[in-house]
Amino acid sequence: MNYFYHLLIYLDIYVVVALGLNIAVGYCGLLTLAHASYFALGSYSYALATLKLGWGFIPSTLLGMIIALIFSLAVSLPAWRFRGDFFLMISLAVQTLLFSIFQNWTDYGAEPGTWRNLTNGLYGLTGISEPAILGINFDTISSQAALHTTLAVTCGLIVWLLLNSPWGRLLKAIRDDELAARGLGKNVHIAKMQAFAVACTMAAIAGSMYASYINFVDPNTASLDESILMLAMVLVGGAGNFRGPVVGALVLLAIPEILHVIHISDIVAANVRMMAYGLLLVVMMHLRPQGLAGNYLIE
Amino acid sequence: MQIFLNGLINGLLIAVLALAFKVVHTPTRIFHIALAAVYAIAPYILWASLQWKLPWYFGVMAAVLFAIGLSLFLELLNHAPLERKGASPGIHLISSLGIYIIIIQIIAISWGNETKAFRTELDTVFSWGDIILTSSQTNAAMVSVFSLLLFFIWLRFTNLGLLFRALADNPVEFVLRGYNMSSLRLVAFGISGLLGAVAALLTSYDIGFTPYGGLPALLLAIVAMIVGGKWFIMGPIFGGILLGIVRSEVGWFLSALWENAVTFLILAFFLFLRGRKFIMLKSRPEVER
Repeated sequence: MNYFYHLLIYLDIYVVVALGLNIAVGYCGLLTLAHASYFALGSYSYALATLKLGWGFIPSTLLGMIIALIFSLAVSLPAWRFRGDFFLMISLAVQTLLFSIFQNWTDYGAEPGTWRNLTNGLYGLTGISEPAILGINFDTISSQAALHTTLAVTCGLIVWLLLNSPWGRLLKAIRDDELAARGLGKNVHIAKMQAFAVACTMAAIAGSMYASYINFVDPNTASLDESILMLAMVLVGGAGNFRGPVVGALVLLAIPEILHVIHISDIVAANVRMMAYGLLLVVMMHLRPQGLAGNYLIE
Repeated sequence: MQIFLNGLINGLLIAVLALAFKVVHTPTRIFHIALAAVYAIAPYILWASLQWKLPWYFGVMAAVLFAIGLSLFLELLNHAPLERKGASPGIHLISSLGIYIIIIQIIAISWGNETKAFRTELDTVFSWGDIILTSSQTNAAMVSVFSLLLFFIWLRFTNLGLLFRALADNPVEFVLRGYNMSSLRLVAFGISGLLGAVAALLTSYDIGFTPYGGLPALLLAIVAMIVGGKWFIMGPIFGGILLGIVRSEVGWFLSALWENAVTFLILAFFLFLRGRKFIMLKSRPEVER
């Protein structure tokens, strides 16, 4: 049963990430490879707030959301001017810069979490506390699964409401014809900034959920491989609607479990999993580029 | 001066890879991320040849030919079918990313994740006054300059080069005038594989190689291409040398860990401050093809 809860928690975390990323990819039409770094921002903020400030789950997560919101400008401001390959390169630049900061803001002589050794470099931050809300400790895996599922459903509901609001329709209009939307007097720049703010904030929430469950965070959380996995979830499931990212997260998280069931050797399991992700991307682009459950064709 | 020269040689290697990327990107607009896999696999082919006790020059030829073949294979089986379906640049990019992931994992499963090296002994050193260069550095510099020069001659003074420039300049008119674009695209992918293999072999001889070394190298090359601007050959050379020198200085005066961060800061600087004028886009980004 614990294994089921473990899978459920991972699904919750990645559904939140994929739903947020879908707003950028499927509703703004902008491919980004920086999302893992926002996920890691949430994880590190949560870790530092709980470890150093003794904050609870909600304030620590809120801190991560605020930091991710501010840093979202790093991708949303370039989105004013760049699309396609050039925007992808900007997002890679942001990914690399944030990864470098997580990896290099360290002085191994100093205590982890202090200003001189904020991230503890490659060793990461350990001993992150489990979630506690209003004096209730979520210290069992079942209670954590319940908490994370509640959070994922709440995030999903908020995204669903946003995407079915006039704001969501404005994003679709911008994605399909930016010049026409601008011609109708819509403020395209602000809408893109808001979309990226929501997407990055949701990644930070997922990052906090991840750190509170794993109790550890290191720079690999912000690696390019993680960004590729997150983007693959949206692209395989299908961008531009609500159900696509959920399907994508389900499919991509199912792959390691299938490999586990068919007894793929542990030595090559990680490689085979990545190969399966790559193969899925190629096959989808040839046979169904809008994704399994999507309705938007990537430009 | 020593740091400057180290940076210059690294920059030339970046320039060769940047040119390999640009040869495909300029005429086809394909963001050829799978070039990172071509770059990653070439040293392994040489490695396998050496393991089979074949002469090194045979191994180099095998590696280069394999890289060219793989590059052509990618065009024939992935990009050409997508092009026929009228796929967008985004779809080409994602499929290329998928292929990159597959090939890298095959390399990792076949040869392992650890770093390999072609030489275990210390490299021969040449010194002129205060300057010290290793034989792998001098080889890298000479072969890079030779490759760039050869490409320049091919592009400027051959009929195929002229056709290639025409395709890069205006693909639609090129097809309307009755030229065969498919075969020229194959030439582009072939040259890209060749240049990618040359850069990979020279770099791996100097610092070793891992399955995952291709993407960081390619990203650097793409930054060099963007920084270099519109010029076909001089752009990647200028961008590559600039990045090589700056990265060397950063590695020496700050820390090698910050090299990537500074590289992408340079990219951000060029994209924002020099912006579209520098990269010479003719249309607004939102109405780009």
